[in-house]
Amino acid sequence: MAWWHGIILSLCSTTAYCLLFNVPVRVLPAGGAVGVIGWIVFSLSPYFGASQIMATFLAAITLSLVSQILSIYMRVPSTNFSISGIIPLVPGSIAYKAMLSFVNGDNLGGITLSTQTFLLAGAIASGLIMGVSIFSLWKGIVMRNALKRTKAN
Amino acid sequence: MDTCLLAGEIMLRSGGETYRTEDTMVLIARAAGMDEVHSFVTPTSIILSYRYMDKSYTRMIRTPERTIDLNKVTLVNDVSRKYVSGKITLISAYQLLQEIDQKKHIYPMWLQNVAAGVASGSFAVLSGATYYALLPTALAGMIVNICLFYFGKYLPFRFFIDFMSAIIGGMFVLLIYSLFPTLRLDLMLVGTMIPLFPGVAVTNSLRDLLSGDLMAGVSRGVEAVLTAVSVAVATVIILSLAR
Repeated sequence: MAWWHGIILSLCSTTAYCLLFNVPVRVLPAGGAVGVIGWIVFSLSPYFGASQIMATFLAAITLSLVSQILSIYMRVPSTNFSISGIIPLVPGSIAYKAMLSFVNGDNLGGITLSTQTFLLAGAIASGLIMGVSIFSLWKGIVMRNALKRTKAN
Repeated sequence: MDTCLLAGEIMLRSGGETYRTEDTMVLIARAAGMDEVHSFVTPTSIILSYRYMDKSYTRMIRTPERTIDLNKVTLVNDVSRKYVSGKITLISAYQLLQEIDQKKHIYPMWLQNVAAGVASGSFAVLSGATYYALLPTALAGMIVNICLFYFGKYLPFRFFIDFMSAIIGGMFVLLIYSLFPTLRLDLMLVGTMIPLFPGVAVTNSLRDLLSGDLMAGVSRGVEAVLTAVSVAVATVIILSLAR
């Protein structure tokens, strides 16, 4: 039963990271929840045939969307959630392996692994941007509909 | 004017995004009845200019030191929203901002260190280490955070502070590894470096780039890359010691 270990550990690390950045107390649980949601998407999507990079991308999109929605709901800037939410997705061990290959003189392996690290970092970045863009699109549609309704009234 | 600049300064110094700082200042200035308000914010300076009673005013401030304090960003956001919607006056907004500026961290120092430890330990286990590695990694993460705080007092260069903290944390992990060789050095080292991860720089640079603030976005991105590089170099040094 490994799955609930992952949930608890990602909750712990995300909440602790929130605390490190002095996030307001009422936002702490939500920040932890965003991290857990990102982790769940990240660990489930390989079962549907996604590669690791794709899984990271999907998780980043999801947590960016969730943090935007929470930021409206709790009326705090969305960075409160998304900064610590990306912590479980950080490609730490691959970056480490890249360093190790360079130290051992295996330059080719090092370059391969660093490329993979950069791709994963790019997946996190583009996922976050994608989430924000999707959300602003949705917000724009909602705003337009609201305007139409007020005009009709 | 002072209110605007104070709001902007607090926000920028506590790790708010550049576009949010610009927006907040422009909104406050408009609500105070100023015309042709323009603000230009980079990660290290704020320029605000406006027209009031047929006279133009411009002021600029520098923000040399930066910390990360999302609570202040949230509070300043609240104050500006309240002022713009007319719930509080300009004078009380200024007083509120001054109070926010004086505020300390909500959480005491030891709790922050423990949090850094918890983040490190659970990240190490999350990336595949056994539960026996949790405690040493947590201790190493705590040491990294304490080092960050104390070096920050005495050393002027941020990247060097990160580098030195990473070295000391790595040394501690190496010591643990030589005492208990069954633990995995790689995952423990990865966990130890987590308090140094430039999360705010990454997220803010992306948001700034997306909102068209290219200069601020690129400079924050460079900050993130430099931090990552200094941590990586520290890791390489530790690894070559481990060989």
